[in-house]
Amino acid sequence: MRGASFIWTVCKSSFTFGLIGLTVSDRVASVVHVRGLSMSPTFNPPNNTSFGLFTDDHVLVEKRCLMDYKFSHGDVVVFCSPRNYKEKQIKRITGLPGDWINVPFSYDAVKIPEGHCWVEGDNPTDSLDSRSFGPIPLGLIRGRVTHILWPPQRVQKIDKKLPRSGLTF
Amino acid sequence: MGLQNAVLNGFKKSLVFGLVGVTVTDRYAGVCSIRGSSMSPTFNPSPGSFADDYVFLEKFCLDKYKFSHGDVVVFSNPINYKERCVKRIVAMEGDYISDTKGAMKVPEGHCWVEGDNSAFSSDSRIYGPVPLGLIRGRVTHVIWPLERIKKVDRRIPQDRLAF
Repeated sequence: MRGASFIWTVCKSSFTFGLIGLTVSDRVASVVHVRGLSMSPTFNPPNNTSFGLFTDDHVLVEKRCLMDYKFSHGDVVVFCSPRNYKEKQIKRITGLPGDWINVPFSYDAVKIPEGHCWVEGDNPTDSLDSRSFGPIPLGLIRGRVTHILWPPQRVQKIDKKLPRSGLTF
Repeated sequence: MGLQNAVLNGFKKSLVFGLVGVTVTDRYAGVCSIRGSSMSPTFNPSPGSFADDYVFLEKFCLDKYKFSHGDVVVFSNPINYKERCVKRIVAMEGDYISDTKGAMKVPEGHCWVEGDNSAFSSDSRIYGPVPLGLIRGRVTHVIWPLERIKKVDRRIPQDRLAF
């Protein structure tokens, strides 16, 4: 009988911790594995050897920003891709509602509609972002990246870096 | 000592129930109220009444994002991310929708939503196709007021698709 009640206690505790973990990861913060080079050198800077999962950056994504959606220029955010809702992408916000964005390689300027934002990768040559799929609704954003947590030598806070080009006025 | 233990136990139990409730409403199902008459007569058929309909929405669909024509979904308003809208999916990605300017193709990863009460509905005819990533759940049943409890059918309007 003692064995059974011990197992029951372990089950209850792991259930509670599992719930707490799930709620925290949904609503407070979670860790995300960054794939690809569209945010080089901020994430996954080029290096000689690559072991994939072990050297890719893992970042801390905070979700408190989703309470009031107060984003600013230069925030790095995780969002659902507008082209493929199953994928999540990580890019930097370079335009907020009302901003005018220069469309590259043309004389057009696009005004970002209400409720949308313009995202671009830090590595413009290797990044599929708003220059291809246009402004994205803020409702697609799933969190904001605050720190790199892995690999240990790259642990740092992510700065809000403003873009060098893009905003016209 | 007995009272303190009981209070602590009660606190722990309510914390666990609270967590279970939060997790379930975030990930699996929830209840929400419907405001406005854009989905009349499916929801809120009588505009003057004080009681708004309450509906049951399920979030299992969000895992696989398997939506189909005629589903009634709750999604974040693309124009104002703080608001939620409830409308019916009329067309999915790849379909052609007839518009005032002719036929328009719904882009990949998006859907076209319209309210059942077209005259009073601000929907995709105004803000364009909605990315599927904005959807927050699918409405399955009306649960309040009691005399209107019923399953919400997938009604497929045939006249909106161009071909």
